[in-house]
Amino acid sequence: MSGADSEFKIVFTGPMGVGKTTAIAAISDEAPVSTDVFNTDREAFDKALTTAGLDYGHIALDDGTAVRLYGTPGQARFRFMWDILGLNAAGVIVLIDASQSDALVQLDHFVDAFGSGKRTPIVIGVGRLDHAGAPPLDAFSQRLETRGLTLPVFGVDVRRRPDVLLLVDTLLCLIETADPTRLTA
Amino acid sequence: MSAAPRFGKVATGVAQKQLEAFGQSTPGVVSAVLLSADGFEVASLQVGKSGAERLAAMGSSLGAIGSAIAKEAGIVECNRMIIEADSGTVVIMHVPDAKPPMSLAIVANGASVLGQLLWAARNCCSAIGRAFRE
Repeated sequence: MSGADSEFKIVFTGPMGVGKTTAIAAISDEAPVSTDVFNTDREAFDKALTTAGLDYGHIALDDGTAVRLYGTPGQARFRFMWDILGLNAAGVIVLIDASQSDALVQLDHFVDAFGSGKRTPIVIGVGRLDHAGAPPLDAFSQRLETRGLTLPVFGVDVRRRPDVLLLVDTLLCLIETADPTRLTA
Repeated sequence: MSAAPRFGKVATGVAQKQLEAFGQSTPGVVSAVLLSADGFEVASLQVGKSGAERLAAMGSSLGAIGSAIAKEAGIVECNRMIIEADSGTVVIMHVPDAKPPMSLAIVANGASVLGQLLWAARNCCSAIGRAFRE
């Protein structure tokens, strides 16, 4: 046990190549556990490795709260892992890559897959907003609003620890507001 | 979606024949899927398309988690995982030297004998590995 005052689980999710493994590595206190494997699907995303199982990291915050960080695989064929990892999660961080042509559709897809913020608090982090042709940050908030959803949306660089911590801190606030007992459960 | 062309037609054909021989000669084999480490079906035996895709994805997740645990425990590398359930067994076995990296997922029923199943699966994986070696 960590000896923390309270400990809970949050999940990082989002499409392939958005930087879930990178985000967890950016804030984890210890070297994260990763399950990267050789990526044969270079058409979907041109990178050498991809997560097939899960990422796992851990962070102890100044107020004594400990957070277990889980990352999902991004591809739809690993959907069963989303359900497994989402079980008992106190909150979800959805990462979206604005440079991907279907970024707004991906936003809907992942927000819906994790309960649209109604079951579990969700915070959205949007990366690569400076990419030519990427929708502006407002487009992501508006997309959610047209569906009656009001979720926090931030522009982030998942390689930067402060950016990822901003997402985590915001999620913690949402979790506390939604259910104050959850943090001490 | 079929990812077969990604893996080379000749080697995939050899793998398919190896799977069929394995299924015929090994008691209790219900189905088997040869899968890439990132969860695509390469070849399959006695399982529908959708079932093969699901088993491929699940097998790759299990294999990846098995490797992570073996690494964590300092006993690298994970060669196989065995799930023993009430009425059968699932084995995820690493295919040696295959490029790209692959595993074989096997579902067997109560008629199987674990030692025999593992021995036959290892022979099958060795033959498949030779086909996919560069």
